[in-house]
Amino acid sequence: MSMQAATARTARRSATRRRRKLVRQAGQYSALVVGGVAMMIPFLWMLTVSLKTRAEVFSSSPLFFPSGLHWENYSKMWFALPGVTFGTFFQNSIVIASLATLGQVITCSMAAYAFAVFDFRFKRVLFAMILATLIIPFQVVLVPNFILYRYLPWPFSESGNWIGTNLPLWVWAFFGGAFGTFLLRQFFLTIPSELADAARVDGANPWQVFLRVYVPLARPALATLAIFQFMWSWNDLLDPLIYLRDLPSYTTTVGLAFFQGQFVGKWPEMMAGALVSLLPMIILFVIAQKYFVRGITLSGLKG
Amino acid sequence: MTSSPRIGDRAGAVEPPRRRARSGRGPRASEGRWVLLFLAPTLIGLAVLSAGPILATLAISLTKWDMLTAPQLVGLDNYGTLLGDDRFLKALRNTAFYTVVSVPIGLTLALALATALNQQIRGIAWIRTAYFLPLVTSATAIALVWLWIYSPTGPLNDILSAFGIPRQRWIADPVLAMPSIIAMSIWQGLPANVIIFLAGLQAIPAEYYDAASVDGAGRWGRFRKITLPLLTPSMFFTGVLALIGAFQVFDQVYVMANPGKPGEATITLVYFIYEAGFRNFKMGYAAAGSWIMFLIVAVATIVYFRTQDRWVHYQ
Repeated sequence: MSMQAATARTARRSATRRRRKLVRQAGQYSALVVGGVAMMIPFLWMLTVSLKTRAEVFSSSPLFFPSGLHWENYSKMWFALPGVTFGTFFQNSIVIASLATLGQVITCSMAAYAFAVFDFRFKRVLFAMILATLIIPFQVVLVPNFILYRYLPWPFSESGNWIGTNLPLWVWAFFGGAFGTFLLRQFFLTIPSELADAARVDGANPWQVFLRVYVPLARPALATLAIFQFMWSWNDLLDPLIYLRDLPSYTTTVGLAFFQGQFVGKWPEMMAGALVSLLPMIILFVIAQKYFVRGITLSGLKG
Repeated sequence: MTSSPRIGDRAGAVEPPRRRARSGRGPRASEGRWVLLFLAPTLIGLAVLSAGPILATLAISLTKWDMLTAPQLVGLDNYGTLLGDDRFLKALRNTAFYTVVSVPIGLTLALALATALNQQIRGIAWIRTAYFLPLVTSATAIALVWLWIYSPTGPLNDILSAFGIPRQRWIADPVLAMPSIIAMSIWQGLPANVIIFLAGLQAIPAEYYDAASVDGAGRWGRFRKITLPLLTPSMFFTGVLALIGAFQVFDQVYVMANPGKPGEATITLVYFIYEAGFRNFKMGYAAAGSWIMFLIVAVATIVYFRTQDRWVHYQ
């Protein structure tokens, strides 16, 4: 009898505890969800405004949903500028970001391999120098780089040099980079040297070891670097602003900024443009979130 | 190197294990050639695109150069002019204000958010996705929607006027402009810092908390005695990034402050450099501004690293 009572009491107590835990979890849960929605609000507003009529944006409260779905804002935005569509900007951004990504993946993995596998003189000094360039804001070298590109000849441009072409926006990527070298070196160091030794016994030279052993194994790290470089190139504003001279060569970001200057007050079209420009990155992020998280935690650098 | 890298020691932190014992002899000559092959692009890049140009910036800053006529050597004139240039001083002050306000607030919020997100509950991956999303979005597009949020008939003013607070001009108001830009930047910068803090939190062994609970420590006690000290490396790391990032603000200012023409209320250092060099084609003047920026960032970073021993605890 008393045993039963004791058991019942324990059961009741653990039930209370469980309930209390549940309540606390529910509280945390809803707080997190509310916070998450709050973080998303700017995106939600971007979407709702992009579907409103211009009159609606000014008259009705911004907090309300549009009366109807005015998708025509998107086509208006797409064809708003004379002679070019937003698709041109997209194309330009894709070309530049892809080439920059390709260059970084190739040359950073090569440098990372050298730092991870070989011993050579000045290795520490050189690696420290590369890391130091991570800390230096790239804007510090804007002027000399501009001057360099100004004096590099290019027969196909109006200026006769690299200014006004997209070359300054991706050629640099074929000459190494601190973020990628650091990230990949960290990864290469975790690859057991036995694998390389085995390949070497089979008669592979360092280049073959690099291509057949290290590169395939480092695929996740290479993907991380590729995704980050693509994102940085896609989102960059300052460099394209400096080097691109005419509308048909603009990237999405410069196009968007230009658009804003031309169409002050045309909020629905502007929000449609902003949303469309973000879409590729948002999709990439949802698909490959783990690579973003890994890249940030591995070297945590934003640009 | 895992969740909480120690920046100062990065170069030497993870030394590669020696691959082949070569009984003290140096690398073979043939290997040297391979090293050169693998490093060639990087070496050229370092010399021509990053390290070299820092020195070039210094040299150019001693000249007067409009890119049309030959550069003239003017000594330190550019620096003298800069220190008397009201727009430059405003840019300096705005950038300093931006840094001093956005870094501590941003990091504190990120820490709180990371603590909240550090739970194993169902659907947490989706919740985190929502918080992380601003990470991948361009400051240009984000600035556009915030421009609308801050607009005279925008939602922020609507909400405030519902509480009887008069509508503000935010971006157009000389006093409120910079804080408005800071608020937006904090929102956008949150995810990266949260991710680093989350990794730091997840690296703290659960036994520490169990032991503290046994000793009777409450939630706040555990946070203060365990979480905070063990998270200092992550804080140090995010601090460096936030500090350097804060000096580089450009996109938001360019887009929000009437494209290409920020007033004195919002002009930043990078914008000033951009304007001097690529709008007014005063290359020497822009280079001098760049060099000052370089010095400020270098000194700030060194001072920050010096404080490391005083508050950062490595396990």
